Amino acid sequence: MDHEALAQEMRGLRERVTGITDTALAAADGMLIAADTANSIDPEGLAALAAAGLGLARRTAEATARGVLRQTVTYGSHGCVAFYAVGDTALMVVLGDEGMDVDRLHRATHPALDRIGSILTEKAPEGV
Amino acid sequence: MSEVRDPLGRAGYGRLAHALIACGREGFSGELRVPGSPGGAFHLRAGLVVAADSPGAPGPEALLLRSDRIDGEQWAELVRESGGARWPVAGLIAHGYAGAAQLRVVCVMALQDAAFAIVAGRVDGCEAVLGTEPYAPVAVGEPPARLLQEANRKLAALAALPHPVRPDRERPLPAAVDRPLTPLQRELMGHADGRRTARDLAFRTGRGVYTVTVEVARMLGEGLLECAGPTAPIPIRMPVRAPVVRHRETPPPPPPPPPAPEPIPVPAELPRREPGASGITEALGPSKSGASWKGFFRLRHGTAK
Repeated sequence: MDHEALAQEMRGLRERVTGITDTALAAADGMLIAADTANSIDPEGLAALAAAGLGLARRTAEATARGVLRQTVTYGSHGCVAFYAVGDTALMVVLGDEGMDVDRLHRATHPALDRIGSILTEKAPEGV
Repeated sequence: MSEVRDPLGRAGYGRLAHALIACGREGFSGELRVPGSPGGAFHLRAGLVVAADSPGAPGPEALLLRSDRIDGEQWAELVRESGGARWPVAGLIAHGYAGAAQLRVVCVMALQDAAFAIVAGRVDGCEAVLGTEPYAPVAVGEPPARLLQEANRKLAALAALPHPVRPDRERPLPAAVDRPLTPLQRELMGHADGRRTARDLAFRTGRGVYTVTVEVARMLGEGLLECAGPTAPIPIRMPVRAPVVRHRETPPPPPPPPPAPEPIPVPAELPRREPGASGITEALGPSKSGASWKGFFRLRHGTAK
């Protein structure tokens, strides 16, 4: 896994969408892979919550015949949290403040998810 | 004012100024969307700007909620009371959270701050949209030319400071200081963590982005804040033992289900027992040899000899 490429994708997303405050990447089981989070946020806890939340949302989408899950968004009075599945292997959490345009976030995130998925699953070259 | 922008920025701003002033001249009513970074939108009525919003500047709702004039639960209650209105102005006044004049000031500040954020950022184009309504319009609209002039004046004033900063560029850290601070300085030092820009600090503290950007520039000049550099990348933490992810293997196809058993025929009427069908009569009948009867009694009496 190319850690620098992963970090660049996370930074790039933050630069493209105004209002992103934190991002985290985790495996589908909730184990943290990478975090760009403030000290006030526990990234491991966030990753575990995201895995549980996305699992529930995926089951709900299946049980109600809503098709393939795209994302879930939790809105609060001080901002929102968006949870995205990265293929079937991982997930990404994006936190934003009140100013973040959520539609713009979705438009910017979906292409990034494909690239992040490729980075996460690519095999390290032999002998490294 | 052109010296505060690069050529690309000048071209984008030129398009915005041309479109917005044309909207004013034509008495346009509707929305002028401004794609860009942070981008935003101007809402006009009869050629006057009555609202502006941008991801780069806190709106009236964020200004109220973040400044602790009202908490999230109280706000949600007001929104419910007003039937889902995004700006429950009547409820805010009726419950005493803010006065009518205060709310008017908040809306005007939010409008001018959003205009500043749009003008200070990158403008990619302009698109007029009809049929939209702003959620917190001001009573008396601003002429577009005056609004742009004011935003440009602020941008130039910021650029003229000894340590100019951009709302969305520098991410300051607090420096070690031992001198009295103003409440705003204390607040900004408490939230500046090397990850937040002036724009982020404005949202965090519920203040205007221009006010916070100017204060950050001054604090950098006074040594209260310091920057690692405008291009310092945001640190990304990766656990030493990051998990390795693999695609889920497709489970093998389930074995074919066993063939369904033959249905048990259900007779139309209950079976009728035929006498002698079990053969017991023949087994116990007199035609059997005596040895079989002896065996029978041995079984019953145990030790027959």
